[in-house]
Amino acid sequence: MRIACPFCGSRDLREFSFLGDAGAAGAGLPGAGPGAGPGAGAEAGADAGPGAGPDADAGARAEAVYLRDNPAGRHRGLWYHEAGCRSWLAVTRDTRTHAIFAVELAREGAR
Amino acid sequence: MPEAASMPGTSRPGTSRPGTPSPGAAAEASLRPVPAFGGLAASSPDGRLVVREREGLGLATVTARRGRGGDLAEVLRASRGLVLRPGPTVSRAGDLALVGTGPETWFAVGAGGGWRFSRALAATLAGLAAVADQSSGYGVLRLSGPAVRAVLAKGVPVDLHPSAFAAGDAAVTLAGHVGIVLWRAEDRADGEEAFDVAVFRSYAESFRHWLFASAAEFGLADGPAPGPGTAGAVSRPA
Repeated sequence: MRIACPFCGSRDLREFSFLGDAGAAGAGLPGAGPGAGPGAGAEAGADAGPGAGPDADAGARAEAVYLRDNPAGRHRGLWYHEAGCRSWLAVTRDTRTHAIFAVELAREGAR
Repeated sequence: MPEAASMPGTSRPGTSRPGTPSPGAAAEASLRPVPAFGGLAASSPDGRLVVREREGLGLATVTARRGRGGDLAEVLRASRGLVLRPGPTVSRAGDLALVGTGPETWFAVGAGGGWRFSRALAATLAGLAAVADQSSGYGVLRLSGPAVRAVLAKGVPVDLHPSAFAAGDAAVTLAGHVGIVLWRAEDRADGEEAFDVAVFRSYAESFRHWLFASAAEFGLADGPAPGPGTAGAVSRPA
């Protein structure tokens, strides 16, 4: 599998490490909601998801922290270009075929 | 460089820590620079691959402060005459080169100056970028000759064909398992391609081992490299 890094271009899989579901990044942190990218929680503010804050329902909070969808198909995940430009990328791919539909910097201006 | 070979077993001189420091010397006190690859200089017998350490460089990482990338480019243009190209490319002006290593991030290479290079660059870019000295952190090798791409291809997972990696292109990537910053240098006077490779100092021996193993088929042999300008150099760091 090769990933087309927005900065570096097409690169081999060995340069990247996989973090997990992009939509779950920061789950359980105050202010983090579904779909929030890394570090975006603070800006998301009022857009609090099920994992938001200490007052959130414990069951919903545990679910947000620990439970992940495991789709056979389209999935948006976070990848770190560790051996390259060290950017966090959000990669949308098909988990069955590894076909990649989209690659973007996880946050505009991220390094 | 002192003749280390003539003083086996002695401790390294020149670390600027005299017993009685002279007033004012402390501000400029620094360690004596030691090349990461021990001044490596080697060539295959037919000259298809030439390896030479670039010594005494000033090296620094430059990261633009948030939203100041445009101002940084303008200051570099005005003060150094350097036109900053976007993406993984090399921008050059005189003795200064900026290698694009990430979004709004560069590896700056100066022809000399050591740690003083980063101090001057930081002053130029004050308020616009974080500049961190890397002069003693990396070793830089110049690889050139008609076999250079064949050798690099054995461990670098990037397409280095001239149609994909043209003059002035750069990449942060791997050689074997060693992280490298790789960029196309100016072609040699005879028109042969040249690449510069920056490797963390602590990986110098691992990289050298990989390089010589990969270049063995071209006859690149381990051992002292005689020749002008390499007197006293050793191929293997001690």
